[in-house]
Amino acid sequence: MSEVIVVTSGKGGVGKTTTTANLGTGLALAGYKVVLVDTDIGLRNLDVVMGLENRIVYDLVDVVEGFCRVKQALIKDKRYEGLYLLPAAQTRDKTAVNPQQMMKLCQELKEEFDYILIDCPAGIEQGFKNAIAGADRAIVVTTPEVSAVRDADRIIGLLEANELRNPKLLVNRLRIDMVKRGDMMSIDDIIDILAIGLIGVVPDDEKIVVSTNRGEPAITDDKALAGQAYRNIVRRIRGEEVPFMNFNEDQGFVDKLKKLFGLKAN
Amino acid sequence: MEENIINFKATVNGLILIMREEDDFDTVYENIERKLESSGRFFKGASMSVKYRGRKLNAEQEKMISELISKKTNAEIKSFEEDTSVPEPSADETEKVIEKPKMKRVFFKDLEEGVTKFYKGTVRSGKLVSFEGNLVVIGDVNPGGEVIATGNVIVMGSLRGMVHAGADGNKDAIVAALSLQPVQLRIADVITRPPDTKETSRGLVPEMAFVRDDLVYIESFLPQYK
Repeated sequence: MSEVIVVTSGKGGVGKTTTTANLGTGLALAGYKVVLVDTDIGLRNLDVVMGLENRIVYDLVDVVEGFCRVKQALIKDKRYEGLYLLPAAQTRDKTAVNPQQMMKLCQELKEEFDYILIDCPAGIEQGFKNAIAGADRAIVVTTPEVSAVRDADRIIGLLEANELRNPKLLVNRLRIDMVKRGDMMSIDDIIDILAIGLIGVVPDDEKIVVSTNRGEPAITDDKALAGQAYRNIVRRIRGEEVPFMNFNEDQGFVDKLKKLFGLKAN
Repeated sequence: MEENIINFKATVNGLILIMREEDDFDTVYENIERKLESSGRFFKGASMSVKYRGRKLNAEQEKMISELISKKTNAEIKSFEEDTSVPEPSADETEKVIEKPKMKRVFFKDLEEGVTKFYKGTVRSGKLVSFEGNLVVIGDVNPGGEVIATGNVIVMGSLRGMVHAGADGNKDAIVAALSLQPVQLRIADVITRPPDTKETSRGLVPEMAFVRDDLVYIESFLPQYK
């Protein structure tokens, strides 16, 4: 049983590509055969984040236009067994592909792979329509900012209008210290507005920037808090029940005492 | 006094009296009298022919109005007859129609009971739910979402988007929600927005908004919150 999962957000820069790269790597590490599809034609990034830029020969547009076979365009990630990338074209734009072609492509990939992760471009135009065309499930990425949440809300509405029910929410770049001070929207605030199920919370982590620049997904970093968060999300995608991370690690002595005596629930 | 019951329009050949079909003769007569009281002196000493349109008059009524105009304006009325030419829509009139589409004489009045739409689900950002009648949203209205109805708007959830009740002009329309925090709230042509000071969330406090003297009032409709 293979699945096509689209990673989308509406707003740009909230971490769609990073999320796709990390979840894809995580699923591959768990033993699945995974392909990452970059649908951000003209503004491709996923290949860079994965560190596979220099190996691109054919791309998504070549495949749908019939210049090459799907297998020729797929780039095998040598570091992780079972992980492949289908890169976007850089010299074309979103109109080079239409939703019907994407649906056909997804069907074709489903025969070969367990998970097809689609990295959606920002916006709600043609690129978005292409990305969601063949998807079975959706993960909506947002950051704890009003603008990102607003766009996520719009996206959820559009997904529902396109028969993609029950999208899951991934809150990226949460800063616990700021939430505690009341300077940032909390998870509850976001859920209150968006009213969809949460699949994971990824804390803001410097290591993400480092790993993105190096082309190595942070999920492989055992020490990174964000890596742990992504590993949990991977397990949830596979259908496991994983409790949400407790970010209150640096709690004071008094808190610890209270917890010891059962005065504090979390 | 209601305006527009009668109207005078000057033409090259004289004066045209425009009436409305639905008003009875006495009202028309009274209004002509009142109108000429204020503006009649303008015609003093003139000699003109008067035509009328918009309503049928019998010979007796024609005579009465003719005499009335003559008396009030001190002008010589050469003739008084029905205007049979088709009135050209003047540029001025068409412009008015475009400018103010809500100046419909009849607006939605069935606020107590009448046609109602029930919308199930969350009205998310970018979504517009509108209806000619009363509107009930069973769910939230999120920021960026819009709900517009010509009657009342009831939201069985949090109202955080834009809401417009009585959209075609009925100021008796109300907006009610389990939590009333709209970006902007409009009732008929009265527009308000919440104060800029950020209110701490008090949980769900059901509230209702209504218009009185062109001001929007918001109050709780459940006794335990008052």
